[in-house]
Amino acid sequence: MNRIETDVIIIGGGATGAGTARDLSMRGVRCVLIEKNDIASGTTGRNHGLLHSGARYAVKDHESAHECMRENKTLRKIAWHCIEDTGGLFVTLPEDDPGYHRLLLEGCRYAGIPAKEISIRKALQLEPNLNPGILSAMTVPDGTIDPFRLTASNMLDAKERGAIILTHTRVSAILKEGSKVSGVSCITKNGDAIEVMAPVIINAAGVWGQEVCAMAEIKLPMFPSKGSMLIIDYRINGVVVNRCRPPADGDIIVPGDTVSLIGTTSKEIPYDKIDDYTIDDDEIDILLSDGEKLIPNVKNTRALRAYCGVRPLVAVSGEAEGRNISRGIVLIDHKNRDGLDGFITISGGKLMTYRLMAEKTADLACKKLGVKKKCKTHKVPLPGSESRFSSGRTVKRFSGIPDSVVGSTFYRHGQRLRNIMTGEKKNYRLICECEMVTEGEIEYAIKKLDVKDLVDLRRRTRIGMGPCQGELCAYRGAGLFHEYGAATPEGSVELLHDFLEERWKGIRPVLWGDGLRESEFTYWIYQGLFGLSHVNNKKKKKG
Amino acid sequence: MIKLENISFDHCIKCTVCTIYCPVAQATHLFPGPKQSGPDAERLRIKNPELVDASLKYCTNCKRCEIACPSDVKIAEIIQNAKWKYVKVHWFRPRDFFMSRTDLVGGLATIFSGLTNFIINLKVMKVLMHLFLNIPYSRKFPAYQRGTFTGLYKKKFMQSQKVYEKRAVFYHGCFVNYNNHSLGEDLIKVMNALGYGVDLVDEKCCGVPLIANGYIEKAKKNAQYNIDSLGKTGDAVIVSTSSSCSFALMHEYPSFLELDNSSYIDRLDYITKFIYDEFTAGNIPQMKAVGIRAAYHSPCHLERMGGVIYTLGVLKMVPGLDLVVLNSECCGIAGTYGFKKENYEISQGVGQNLFRLIEKAEPEFVVTDCETCTMQIEMNTKYKVLHPVTLIAMALEEKNKGKK
Amino acid sequence: MIYDCVIIGGGLAGLTCGIRCAEEGLRTVVISGGMNSLHFSSGSIDLAGFTENGSVVKKPFEHIKNNAAKKKDHPYTKVGIPAIRKSLDYFKEKVSDEGITLNHNSDFNHFHVTAIGAVKPTYLSQESVFSSRGKDIIKSGAKIAILNFKGFRDYYPEQTAANLKEHPLFKNSELMLGDISLPYYLHTEKNLHEFRSTDIARIFETERYLPRIADEIKRAAGDADAVSLPAFIGINNYREIRGKLEAMTGKFIYEIPTLPPSILGLRIDHAVKNSFFKHGGEYIAGKKIESSVIKKGIVESIITGSRGTSSEIKAKYYVLASGSFFSGGLQSGVSSISEPVFDLKVKGDSKRSKWYSWNFFDKKSHPFLSYGVETDSSFNPSTQDGKTVKNLFCAGSVLAGYNPVKEGCGGGVAISTGYKCAERIIREIKK
Ligand SMILES: Cc1cc2nc3c(=O)[nH]c(=O)nc-3n(C[C@H](O)[C@H](O)[C@H](O)COP(=O)(O)OP(=O)(O)OC[C@H]3O[C@@H](n4cnc5c(N)ncnc54)[C@H](O)[C@@H]3O)c2cc1C
Ligand SMILES: Cc1cc2nc3c(=O)[nH]c(=O)nc-3n(C[C@H](O)[C@H](O)[C@H](O)COP(=O)(O)OP(=O)(O)OC[C@H]3O[C@@H](n4cnc5c(N)ncnc54)[C@H](O)[C@@H]3O)c2cc1C
Ligand code: SF4
Ligand code: SF4
Repeated sequence: MNRIETDVIIIGGGATGAGTARDLSMRGVRCVLIEKNDIASGTTGRNHGLLHSGARYAVKDHESAHECMRENKTLRKIAWHCIEDTGGLFVTLPEDDPGYHRLLLEGCRYAGIPAKEISIRKALQLEPNLNPGILSAMTVPDGTIDPFRLTASNMLDAKERGAIILTHTRVSAILKEGSKVSGVSCITKNGDAIEVMAPVIINAAGVWGQEVCAMAEIKLPMFPSKGSMLIIDYRINGVVVNRCRPPADGDIIVPGDTVSLIGTTSKEIPYDKIDDYTIDDDEIDILLSDGEKLIPNVKNTRALRAYCGVRPLVAVSGEAEGRNISRGIVLIDHKNRDGLDGFITISGGKLMTYRLMAEKTADLACKKLGVKKKCKTHKVPLPGSESRFSSGRTVKRFSGIPDSVVGSTFYRHGQRLRNIMTGEKKNYRLICECEMVTEGEIEYAIKKLDVKDLVDLRRRTRIGMGPCQGELCAYRGAGLFHEYGAATPEGSVELLHDFLEERWKGIRPVLWGDGLRESEFTYWIYQGLFGLSHVNNKKKKKG
Repeated sequence: MIKLENISFDHCIKCTVCTIYCPVAQATHLFPGPKQSGPDAERLRIKNPELVDASLKYCTNCKRCEIACPSDVKIAEIIQNAKWKYVKVHWFRPRDFFMSRTDLVGGLATIFSGLTNFIINLKVMKVLMHLFLNIPYSRKFPAYQRGTFTGLYKKKFMQSQKVYEKRAVFYHGCFVNYNNHSLGEDLIKVMNALGYGVDLVDEKCCGVPLIANGYIEKAKKNAQYNIDSLGKTGDAVIVSTSSSCSFALMHEYPSFLELDNSSYIDRLDYITKFIYDEFTAGNIPQMKAVGIRAAYHSPCHLERMGGVIYTLGVLKMVPGLDLVVLNSECCGIAGTYGFKKENYEISQGVGQNLFRLIEKAEPEFVVTDCETCTMQIEMNTKYKVLHPVTLIAMALEEKNKGKK
Repeated sequence: MIYDCVIIGGGLAGLTCGIRCAEEGLRTVVISGGMNSLHFSSGSIDLAGFTENGSVVKKPFEHIKNNAAKKKDHPYTKVGIPAIRKSLDYFKEKVSDEGITLNHNSDFNHFHVTAIGAVKPTYLSQESVFSSRGKDIIKSGAKIAILNFKGFRDYYPEQTAANLKEHPLFKNSELMLGDISLPYYLHTEKNLHEFRSTDIARIFETERYLPRIADEIKRAAGDADAVSLPAFIGINNYREIRGKLEAMTGKFIYEIPTLPPSILGLRIDHAVKNSFFKHGGEYIAGKKIESSVIKKGIVESIITGSRGTSSEIKAKYYVLASGSFFSGGLQSGVSSISEPVFDLKVKGDSKRSKWYSWNFFDKKSHPFLSYGVETDSSFNPSTQDGKTVKNLFCAGSVLAGYNPVKEGCGGGVAISTGYKCAERIIREIKK
């Protein structure tokens, strides 16, 4: 059995966990991050990636609004390569309560959010695809944030500062010595057991935090709330478009890299359903019809995928019946709550408040360890965001390589572009043609970014995230996994199979029109032409 | 932000078929091909206009990719759009300016035709053009004729056309007007034989060279002028002997320049379609055997219009014509494209397949519908190139002239 | 001007039908909106590869015969065994006239190797995929070199080898891997690693590179008796090129289809198109048929293009061979399946969740693959009101009633139904 000694164990590789790992490493604290799947595979990779201005909370939740406002400014500095300053709009539709517009403006003023009323003409100039029938509009400093990049560069920085990251490794038990925690036992994907020992354990397992607490025989009831979203083929809007009404289903369209996404529905689900990512046809219908009201072009556009995320709402004090549910950041020192020393739970909050959550958690952990160092994460830029320069100028430096290719890589990796765009010509060849992912980028991801399979690779590079959803690049990507020594040839075919199955989960709910044509074509290639399910592989008994 | 008018890229299923048929991507590796330049990159350009690739300029707008695409993606249109939408044209480009003003230059040149022809083919001048206008040294220029076709028409034909009851408007285009009067004369001969009197109206260059060089506003102006002018011609049929002009008048105006051409669209045909309809309706003038062996090359734009079968249909009805239909290949000239220094080699490279096919067929003449294809083929092979209308004119006996 | 026969869709089905009609002297035109699915296919013609539960079919005709009673709506049942046989013989003869030999293993299916090393049953294949010599070589347990063009991003020979060596057919064979590269590499600006199969095929078609390629193959394959390459050894004169390469290297050359564009498929596409032209057929490329006029169960005309530039085409008989969803022959909306040109009656559930299976590689495959136009036993479809359209026939993958991937029968159905429709039209016109 493998055994690792460290100071802090972090369970969960979402933004919160990765951010905490980075924060601790920057203070010189040794830590091991354990993630059962891949980084950003939980709720972190399943939201709309809105860099809130806070306006969505301005009417009801001033504390959240204020947090958002502050972190918004910080992230623009330290993580600019993960962020797009798109700006945001709140628009009132004819069927909406016209009074909410005033209410929101006031709320924003109170929270210090610079919201500004603009004319409808101006709004249409900002966002020409907007429904021209809107009644009023205001701008807010919304932006977008890419959760995969954000989490990956937090993790990368933590690693470069000495943290150990174990992905595809599940914590199966929490080890205790008396009233103190002493470590965890884990199981890897291949079934190997690992023990990691540390005096402090941070439960950053998001909605799975209830399970993790249960391992320590602690009750922390969570009330999962599921939200579904729809991705459409291209960036149908350049500005975040919010509907000016109290938060409800289908009220936002967020541009994100090359696509736009329509969000979201919201549904309370029983806890035993948190790993069931099924999306119903009626959820799709709601998103489509409401999305179309904001931007009419939605109905002519191909829906690429649908997916959902589960938000944990935590019952802080004791029993579930109490319904003392918090929607803000929840940091629990279980020594105080349950008498278990060394055990901390961090939950709730938002993607964009991950840094703040990490800071609070690291502060508490450091206190327990007696470490005095202060947090620096709000000052030191993330890898890729080191110093600022515009994409346009960077692009021009790589003569001979299409600007679209250099630019896309720059979008994804910021200044780490330098580590990717090097070497022989072969490194510059396109593997994913939709999102312009080069071989060099894939090599970099496999070697540097803890990529274990094609699905992970997608989170680091956007391979297979474009309109073809992997039709051409899945095979190439699988081949490269073998080429770079990350899989056996048979193994790489299995990765290919699993990747296409994973893509299918998101495609399935929106299978019509061009999406269906695409899927038929992909099926022909991989089943008709390649005979993927006919390969003589005893191990593969799926489905 | 970007207004999304042309969203056909959304239908692309990444099947790669278009890449097989792009003649430029075959000839040069500088062009990444229709898929990458069109639908793939369009999503990125929408995300950030800075992600535009300079290699877009290599596309000749031949539209072979669009013919091949099973998803109805307007690939070439997307690329043309991107050229002027995202690549900013700030500076004055003398070469492109003159080259795209075919009517302006043509008008001047025909006044001093002898001198012009002498000058543009003079060695010194060619070197100068090579250096300053980026026009390749070895490129031969079309000869300019003395006077314009409109002038000739007024002098020689206007009167005689009055006897016909059925009327046809002839959109002659720049090439007939400045460089090839005899094609215009042949057209009148053929139309008369079919019983139509030919009228001319005020017209401007159709705009194809302007579009290709990114002068979209000017192209729009010309187009509107033509639309107004042709719109006023009652119920006369309208014909054109240029496949590219027809393509612009019929398709590019509404779909690319977004202008309404409904005032004439139902009456306008590329000439062979018109003749084909007349012939198949029984209006076939008497023709004598021409006794010619010819190889037919189908121009890209005619293919895009689906007009090739009409030309072939008509040619099949010309007696004594031994016709070899060449495999569909691009000649590489693509309007003004092949006249530019940076494109010269590519242009020649694209054409190689076609030139080989022609040599192999060993015809007496080559037949094609397009004026720039004609130039390219005449420059690169030893053959003279005829327009289908000229062939029919050759077949018409003198006595048919008077049929009313 | 009225054609005898207008065929919508220039794929395997439409062109087979077209060749037969044109050969009989009918005035025939094929109109195709875009290129067909041969551009992606393996280039082998599948007749019947798998049974309902997914096991391999050994004798396809026998299988079809046994299934006929169970599957009344299957296109094969409507065509009938004799006509299927006749159509395949006819097809073989026509493409052979154009320089492409198609081989079969008497009445048995043979196998072709896929890029990931799966072994799939099929019925007709080009010489570089199936021949009696190749069969002997594999049986004899010869040494086979699985080669790639160095840096070609659309093929990974290690996967082929790894899965192939597990297969009983290859248990005696010794497999080795290798790369070939070309001098041409060095002379170009483009990132050669982005070459598609067609770009490489063009290199093979350049006569002067052949000796160098042969040397490379000899070097990379060492003492192997046979060499497999991803399919790219020439499109137009492949028979000649392959012959020369085999002579120069002294090795048997095998081809494996890989990511599109498919060279093996392109060869068939060119052969059928050439045959069609040769028989006097007319072909309009890049024109989509948008709509039609049907009166009293008779198609009066079909219409191409949009307002203004639209034109009407008339014929005595019409054939709809417009392919399945991705070719545009069928259309799906958020909750509807339809046929866009004639609005014919189609088979297909109106509930979207019924269209697909939960897993992508589900054993049951996906229901939407067997959706399509419903016809009577002579391939006449009917309009929404249930009226049969008498002068319209349907062929190929636009038809309902079969799952081409699951059953492994795409090519066979396209050819046999195309042929059958032609026979029907010829008979009617000759009457
Ligand atoms: C529909 C929806 C929309 C949202 N939109 C936004 C938005 O626009 N902007 C925004 O800022 N926020 C948004 N959020 C909130 C945001 O997504 C979450 O607050 C944030 O991602 C939580 O991150 P996390 O790291 O705490 O949890 P997670 O990302 O869920 O991370 C927990 C990780 O722990 C791992 N784990 C669980 N159990 C174990 C175990 N036993 N062993 C090892 N690992 C384990 C899981 O695999 C998972 O990766 C949205 C949330 C939802 C549901
Ligand atoms: C990746 C792949 C691999 C395959 N592999 C094999 C294999 O190994 N063996 C095998 O036997 N079969 C294989 N097939 C299947 C086989 O190729 C098809 O079943 C067969 O070719 C279908 O032919 P078709 O003529 O019915 O349709 P298609 O080839 O799809 O042709 C339809 C044509 O109609 C045109 N069209 C559609 N609508 C219109 C309209 N409104 N107006 C004008 N034109 C229109 C389309 O553009 C297209 O060109 C494969 C298919 C694919 C996609
Ligand atoms: S228009 Fe012609 S040159 Fe341009 S991409 Fe299409 S095929 Fe290539
Ligand atoms: S042919 Fe059409 S669908 Fe295919 S890749 Fe090109 S643009 Fe896309």
